Amino acid sequence: MRKDEALPRAPFRRLLIANRGEIAIRVIRACRELGIESVAVYSDADARAMHVMLADRAEPIGPARAADSYLSTDAILSAARRSGAEAVHPGYGFLSENAAFAAAVEAAGLVFVGPPPATLAGLGDKLAARRTASAAGVPIVPGLSVALDANGGGPSADELARVGFPALLKAAAGGGGRGMRRIERTDEIGPALALARQEALAAFGDGTIYLERLIAPARHVEVQLLGDRHGQLAVLGERDCSVQRRHQKLVEESPSPAVTPAIREALFDSARRIAGAVDFHNAATVEFLLDADGAHYFLEMNTRLQVEHGVTELVTGIDLVGWQIRVAAGERLPGEILETPRQGHAIEVRIYAEDPHHAFRPSGGAVTAWQMPSGPGVRVDAGVEADTVLSPEYDPLLAKLMVHAADRPAALARLRRALDETVIGGVQTDLSFHRWLVDDPVFVRGAYDTGLVAERWGDGPPVEPGDAAIAVLIAGRARLDRVADARKAAGQDVVERAGESRWAVEARREAVKERRPR
Amino acid sequence: MTDLDLRVAGVAVSPAEGWAISWLDPARGVARLGDGRELLIALAEGSGSDWVVTLRGRRIAVSVMTWRERMLAEAEIATERSAGPISVTATLPGLIVAVAVVAGTDVVEGDALVTIEAMKMQNEVRAPRAGRVTEVHVAAGSRIGAGDPLLRIE
Repeated sequence: MRKDEALPRAPFRRLLIANRGEIAIRVIRACRELGIESVAVYSDADARAMHVMLADRAEPIGPARAADSYLSTDAILSAARRSGAEAVHPGYGFLSENAAFAAAVEAAGLVFVGPPPATLAGLGDKLAARRTASAAGVPIVPGLSVALDANGGGPSADELARVGFPALLKAAAGGGGRGMRRIERTDEIGPALALARQEALAAFGDGTIYLERLIAPARHVEVQLLGDRHGQLAVLGERDCSVQRRHQKLVEESPSPAVTPAIREALFDSARRIAGAVDFHNAATVEFLLDADGAHYFLEMNTRLQVEHGVTELVTGIDLVGWQIRVAAGERLPGEILETPRQGHAIEVRIYAEDPHHAFRPSGGAVTAWQMPSGPGVRVDAGVEADTVLSPEYDPLLAKLMVHAADRPAALARLRRALDETVIGGVQTDLSFHRWLVDDPVFVRGAYDTGLVAERWGDGPPVEPGDAAIAVLIAGRARLDRVADARKAAGQDVVERAGESRWAVEARREAVKERRPR
Repeated sequence: MTDLDLRVAGVAVSPAEGWAISWLDPARGVARLGDGRELLIALAEGSGSDWVVTLRGRRIAVSVMTWRERMLAEAEIATERSAGPISVTATLPGLIVAVAVVAGTDVVEGDALVTIEAMKMQNEVRAPRAGRVTEVHVAAGSRIGAGDPLLRIE
């Protein structure tokens, strides 16, 4: 143990988190451990959200619609000014890769926890990133390195033929699969382009779309980077994110079962080349597609924290969020971080309020029960709790369940055990998919690709007769044991609990008023 | 248990044997159950005859009726078997981004009616059967809740 006096001074006094949900809470926790006061921001829909309750302070930033709150540079900067924050952590999504936002943060005299705005601009534009990667000698997916006609006209038949089918429309400002559409034939491009553009505009405020060949079967493997402001770069291993629906990740693991030492060497080399080609510091992920022969193609470089960063934290023991903040304040990465060995195997499943039996469609509502697993090697990063009402305005990610164990079979057994300890009430989640996945022979062998969900799950198997028998047993017992009546009888309790939390809200409001800088 | 009629998707199911259940949180319906091999956390939500059991992450609707309730229910079903006008409702809350029909539009089963944006995803509401749209209750830009009526088909 280091003595207290040897501990570094808190890198900042106060930091604002321009995000919500589980990632805001993740950053709040890092702040608390570093001795930094955290400032949450919240829209009208989130006034009583968990991240607001956990932060040291909270500032309102406007109406429920993300465009008017979490995506509003003005609202967030004015919250930062009111709260006296010295730095802004953007989390992921929202404004995290918005160069104009990062520039505005810096222009306001605050530190942006991320790379320089110019780097964001260069890499956030996936089209520009393709050109950068190519120039750095990194293989890229065959495609058109120009934006598609904004006036509704698609690429010419010649151009399409050169890319080949199936092809993929992608948003230049994209991420998280939004604004992406698969096309099988020339005549599909018109309507697909319109939808992709609309989705990209709604999600990123930028409808620029480009076209790549769809590589299939493929695995989605990414490399985690952490760089400081002094030119040092740590390559913190890879994550396999091939279990996806709608081009959005559902499950991530590290190391990738498909990556041999030789492939790993090549992936790390490509990741280093790209990082070397841009003015980079802070956390970033370089995403690649890995084809059936183990060849890799650059997809994009995300210069922000990833949803799945926890998987890397488990196998490296590094607090990525803490280090993001420390390098933003100018700290050097020490040797033990630059040379961190990776240990064991980690798997994350994303718990979404989505119905995997109906095409993973969002399934809003109120969370009535929330029972999370615990025990050795289990980590849960959640953004909701019992009685949270889900807002249809935002991403349906509820929590991330992660496990860490000595090797992949042990991690799978641990995940299976943890899933059996988990229950969420009130909303259909994708937990049924995850429970199925840990027993799927292809996943268990590690021989899966990005087609797994569509090809092996579809809408999932029917309810097994054995499970139907257990379900009726539970329901029958619930009726006989008057579980519903118990809920009514506990009404007194529920009221008291609600009263208490309202009191906590009031106490917070008072505290915020008192502590607001004059 | 033997004096209850237990059904999943309308099919009578015998309760599993060899499982012990204890209520961890009876107020919320959280149960721990085991058979000596598996240990699971599950959930029962509902009241009267309508229950939803969450088991291995899956929400399974279960009908729990006394025999008397069962006979009454069967008598009701027999009188309701006629096809009349239907109201198409929203299955999830969100924002209406497009309405593809107006009152008077003839639709066939599967036709796109309304596009709802929820959690940043666009979801199409399709015609459950053929007919003529007689009323449209929403317009692009309307904010709707789950269960809100969207339109009527006759």
